Amino acid sequence: MKRGKITVCILLAFVLTIMAPATTASANQATSYTYTLEIKSGSYEFPRTQDAYLPDKTVTKLELSKPTDVFITQDNRMFICDSGNKRIVIYNIDTDTVVDEIKGGELKTPMGVFVTKDGCIYVADNGAKAVLKYSPELELLNTFTRPTQPSFSDTNFDPLKVAVDNAGNMYVISEGVYNGIIQLAGTGDFLGYFAVNKTKLTPSQLVQKILFTREQLANLTATVPTTFSNVYVDDMGIVYSTSMGNADECLKKHNTSGGNMFMEGIVGWDDVTDVTTDKNGIIYTCTERGYIEIYSKNGEFIFEFGSFVTNVDIAGLFSSLPSIAVDNNGFIWGVDKDKGYLQSFKPTDYAKQIYGAMGLYEAGKYEESLSAWRDVLRLNQMSVLAHNGVGKALFHAQRYEESLEHFEVAENRNYYSEAFWEVRNQKLQVILPYVFALIFLLIVVNIVIKRVDKKGKLKNFKKDLTNKMLDTPVLGDVLFMFRVARHPGDRYYDIRVANSVRGASKFAGHGHASVIGAAIIYVLTFITYMVYSTMKGFIYQYVAVEDMDIGGSVAGFFVLIGLFVICNWLVTSINDGDGSLKTVFILPAYAVAPLIVGMLSVTVLSYAMTYNESFILTIIMVVTGIWSFVNLFTGLMNVHDYSFGETVRSFIITFFFMAVAVIIGLIVSIMFEQLFGFIVSVGRELILNVI
Amino acid sequence: MSSKKFRITSIALLACLLFTTGATGYIDTNRDTRPAPEKALVETIGTNGYDFLTETDTLKYYYRDDRDIFMIVDKRNGYTWKTGLDAAYSSEIKKNMAAASNDEELLLAAEPKEKNLNATYIGIANSLVTVEYSELETTKYISSASEKGASSVLSGNGRDYKLDVNMEAIDLKLSVYITLGEDEISYFVPFEEMSGEGLKSVTAVILTPFLGASGGLAQYYDPETGDYGEAVSKYMVPGYVLVPDGSGALIRFTDNNVAFTSYEGDVYGSDPSTETFYYSEVTDAVPVKDPVMPVFGIAHGNRQAAFVAYAESGAEYMDIIVNPEETKRIKYTYAYPRFEYNLTYYQVYNNAGSGYFTLMEEPNIFDVRMTYKFLAGDGSKGFAADYTGMALAYREHLVEEGILTEKDVTAGDIPMRADFLMSDVKKSVIGTTQVVTTTVDDVRDILNDLEEAGIKNVNSGLIGWQKKSETLAKPASFSFTKSIGSSKDFKGLMKEFAERGKDLSFSRNFTVINDKMLSYYTNAAKHVNTWYLSVDRTVLYPKNAPVQYTGYALPEKTAKWIETAAKKASSYAGSLTITGSSNILTATYDRNGVVTSLTDSAKLIAESMEAAAGKLALNLENPNMYLWKYTNRYLKAPVGNSQFVFESDTVPFLQLVLNGTMEMYAPYSNFSFYTQADILRMIDYNVYPSFVFTGEPSYLLSDTASSDMYSTEYTEYKAIAKRVYEGVNGVLSRTMGMDWTGREVLKSGLIKNTYKDGKETHYVIINYTQSDETVDGVKVPALSAIFR
Repeated sequence: MKRGKITVCILLAFVLTIMAPATTASANQATSYTYTLEIKSGSYEFPRTQDAYLPDKTVTKLELSKPTDVFITQDNRMFICDSGNKRIVIYNIDTDTVVDEIKGGELKTPMGVFVTKDGCIYVADNGAKAVLKYSPELELLNTFTRPTQPSFSDTNFDPLKVAVDNAGNMYVISEGVYNGIIQLAGTGDFLGYFAVNKTKLTPSQLVQKILFTREQLANLTATVPTTFSNVYVDDMGIVYSTSMGNADECLKKHNTSGGNMFMEGIVGWDDVTDVTTDKNGIIYTCTERGYIEIYSKNGEFIFEFGSFVTNVDIAGLFSSLPSIAVDNNGFIWGVDKDKGYLQSFKPTDYAKQIYGAMGLYEAGKYEESLSAWRDVLRLNQMSVLAHNGVGKALFHAQRYEESLEHFEVAENRNYYSEAFWEVRNQKLQVILPYVFALIFLLIVVNIVIKRVDKKGKLKNFKKDLTNKMLDTPVLGDVLFMFRVARHPGDRYYDIRVANSVRGASKFAGHGHASVIGAAIIYVLTFITYMVYSTMKGFIYQYVAVEDMDIGGSVAGFFVLIGLFVICNWLVTSINDGDGSLKTVFILPAYAVAPLIVGMLSVTVLSYAMTYNESFILTIIMVVTGIWSFVNLFTGLMNVHDYSFGETVRSFIITFFFMAVAVIIGLIVSIMFEQLFGFIVSVGRELILNVI
Repeated sequence: MSSKKFRITSIALLACLLFTTGATGYIDTNRDTRPAPEKALVETIGTNGYDFLTETDTLKYYYRDDRDIFMIVDKRNGYTWKTGLDAAYSSEIKKNMAAASNDEELLLAAEPKEKNLNATYIGIANSLVTVEYSELETTKYISSASEKGASSVLSGNGRDYKLDVNMEAIDLKLSVYITLGEDEISYFVPFEEMSGEGLKSVTAVILTPFLGASGGLAQYYDPETGDYGEAVSKYMVPGYVLVPDGSGALIRFTDNNVAFTSYEGDVYGSDPSTETFYYSEVTDAVPVKDPVMPVFGIAHGNRQAAFVAYAESGAEYMDIIVNPEETKRIKYTYAYPRFEYNLTYYQVYNNAGSGYFTLMEEPNIFDVRMTYKFLAGDGSKGFAADYTGMALAYREHLVEEGILTEKDVTAGDIPMRADFLMSDVKKSVIGTTQVVTTTVDDVRDILNDLEEAGIKNVNSGLIGWQKKSETLAKPASFSFTKSIGSSKDFKGLMKEFAERGKDLSFSRNFTVINDKMLSYYTNAAKHVNTWYLSVDRTVLYPKNAPVQYTGYALPEKTAKWIETAAKKASSYAGSLTITGSSNILTATYDRNGVVTSLTDSAKLIAESMEAAAGKLALNLENPNMYLWKYTNRYLKAPVGNSQFVFESDTVPFLQLVLNGTMEMYAPYSNFSFYTQADILRMIDYNVYPSFVFTGEPSYLLSDTASSDMYSTEYTEYKAIAKRVYEGVNGVLSRTMGMDWTGREVLKSGLIKNTYKDGKETHYVIINYTQSDETVDGVKVPALSAIFR
């Protein structure tokens, strides 16, 4: 316990350092909304949340021209890369004064700046094609020009950004270099490419790559990987990088070998320009359009604020945001490249609460983090982050049942599944004896009945009842599908006979297929399908009802069946099939009984299964799906009197026809839309200019 | 140590550290009011070139004919105002210097040369009236005292004059009637007297843009060298421009070092029907707060000289423009009213959105009436020459006009607004389903619970109370759903609480509509390009919300619905809450041109509110000035401004204007307005707290158009509501019924508000800083407020 106390104290001190000076930030005064992440039916939504940061100071007096980079040291000095004025401005945040500047000499077009713990300043100078190293007294110590190592070959060396790790290795982003981040030793020797973005081909590029000749490929514009836009090294020596052009690779936290520690990817944008961290490892990024995103050290999206504006000078809104940095009070500083001024943002109590709760959780103080997260949740009941926080804290405190609600809101299915497993386990322990007792009882009853009912009266009664039901019009027609499912070959033969031989509508056996029965089955299938897609247990219900395109489902389902029936009938008409339109209509309906049963049972079982047992549900769906398909296949074979090969061919041609029909339908509808638009335009033009 | 004890220790430690580490000096942002500006130097200005017109007990009036400038000398403090910059054209200087026959004449002729002002801008800076017109899609200016192309004649005597302006260059004639009042100058520009072909291209009329301007760069003649020297900065009068941005903002005169765009405050918000495009979209930026009143002012020095200017006619078409130093390289900060007659819009002619830019065929028809009232001194006589004096002077004007009526308020607890979000709709398997978050019974329980918690003076608005909710119900529909409460349930609830002195009302927006709620045909307002107006809300609403786009109702429909709803609501409740329609003003057009103009639209809505006010009390959300007459409760009063970078201070100008005439409520404390500093702001700005509650958790609303109500559940907010209410009530209940007469910044973060109760003077001192302060021997603890 004592050790725990010390940990918490250290942690508190940590949390507090980012809070000082702790002024109560008056909220409701932000100039852009703060958004948090919500995962809804598997896709991202960004609901609004309490303001996380408020615009604080706008510094307009520095007369910056096209600033490209800012870096804040631990003593709150800000190094500003004032590219347009070809200088590095050193601005003291606490005293609001310019304390010094680096200008002239080797410095040509500075684009990036980095200051090490010992105060050495590294400048990525694009104009000088070098990385310049200055002493803390601003004396030029080294000029690292293009590495001469053969492995660097004739690669460009036009540095844009630079960062330096604790061992003195430099990480350089150079213009026009797609190989990755250039890693240089403290001596300027080329060590290799630290991290690489992979080339990703679009589907059309893939096709080109397969089909084109070497000459043709050479003529295409070269496919290059996403370019790195910035690099940063935190106090611990961890390297972070940002990339532009691909949201999936926008932010990476690298391990020592350059691999990405954010294995599951990051929720971000494709125009990320800078990354920085604070003492607690919280990660801040900014985008060119003026948004600032904040992530936990594990890459979870916490919140985002900002907005893109042009021609309006409102505090906290940028028209171009190339760089951000965080000072030792936890204030974020951004620089506007177009307008040339600095803007700071002050964290609100809400932001501090979240950082505090995260810190406690990471320190393993689940009880404390639970109450901290509950406070956050009070202020935003839609916060996925807070629900996850509360949920996880409850989970670790073994309060599984309570945690379920929070994981459900947060759509955290993995944790929900685990918590549910625990809850179910507890319940099972209570219920299991009763279940076994019930099973035992049923077995006993069965044996007793067999003993008593030696003549099989009960069995006959059951059989009679079934036959009676099968003989009932309509009901019997529908129930007949289960008979089809059991013996598809025989029953489809019955269907064929019943519908092709005049006067032979009655055949041996009970029940028969009919058009009305088929129509009802189609409706039943649809209802079952809708139940299956909307009513599964939380773990397996990936899409919420309100997120579904219900109209699309209805239209899609019935159009598909209609198309299949018509196309198959057309195909068989020219292909010597025996089936009439009526039989082709009836046929698929009577094949789907297994699927209906499968979908219903999966829907019911989904309430009791965790992810550990998901294979059971998969098996049910696969088996019943195949079963239904086999039914359909057998049906076609029987009804049309086809061989196996002919049936396969008939299937393929049917699907081809269906595709053609869809394409023609699309073309016609687009043409009509165009025609309508044209008529409307002409009409408006007439009204406006002629009448 | 037990875990609980340990937790308490951690929290105590945290709180302790929070307060100790924060004891640094208070740093002002533009959300605060900074200490008053420095004293301005009063220069004696000669009357050379000016003709004396008349004088009153307060002011002396002169006029300079060649530059169309009125000079106004305030007898109270000797301060001189000029309606124009009074700068010479360089050609004029050249000509006069050439014509000078001796050194004396030469010195007189060698007037300072304005740097960075070309002839057009010197014309604008001097003139009483400037016309902005469009020529080949570019904006041009011509002024009454332009170097060429325009001439003007002043006629009249005594206190009434008329300036006839003939702008031959664009074939436009107009007249400005000028009244020289006791302590104010008024202008009247009748539309009827604007004539000529040029009228078609006139986009706006600007009045005296350089009255009170500060800053500037000029070159002065040096008799020794016989030439003009380097450009030097002119004396920048300390002071500020007051704009009604949100609660009010000051733009101080300062050298900014960077180029800015202008502040353009579109009075009553920009008219969506005459925006450039017929569609607009909600963005991630908090919308700019549009002025709800046609007023601005300029103060020179600290309570020395100031004026407040307001429009009495033409406000719907008025923009308040401030050009902070520096815009377009002009080193002055200057402010003026701009009245819009015509504008360029995008005419779309097909569904693909192709089109072209064009001017409206007919200009807006309205008369301009502007009054500039001059203030002097610290307020010991008359109104102080600062923003508080401007507010009180404007308030007096509105009271005289009958727009505001002072109300007798009895002492007691302050009221709190507790709105209830009862439901909204989300998509369902078939159509939509209503998500109920608060039932009639919940409302009863919550209000009872609040009473038990000591919050007794409460009034409420019910949102989404109807079948299909706010999002999909027809605006004036009064159909109920059992899942929330039947008509009878609502009647019972409202009656029960009315008897206990708690006013519950239905809330409705009668202006913002959508095509899922009703057909746009015959209901929706159209843009001047004849397309239905549309606002894209996809950024705000969740992807699956039943509605993504909204439009605006025809003004006459809005008016009709308000009347119908008021009639129906009056059988349930004592008041009606109106959102949207109170703050949005739109005109509507069809292919024959304007159907309802902005002026008519404002009139229609005001008339409907007047009719409604005859039946019940009205709670209006951020209402525009033309509705103040009918407002009982002002909801969601802004407590900040838009935070333009050049806005240096936020002030409670709106609150000072309306003090004592209606109850004013802050925005919902649920959303980023619950901290101690926010409580202090409510005390400082004299506004009452408000909350929005639901019985159920708000995440249920995440698929509805109310998804931005991210935290509303009562059980979560009870403690916060109690803390906020008690904090505000502790101080403001003492000031109930008193007149708020002054506000002073003692030092950064330390504010002193003056209240008068008959002859007694009281103070509320608000300490926003992290350290204890002592004011007049009384200790004000950190982050607290006291009454004495």
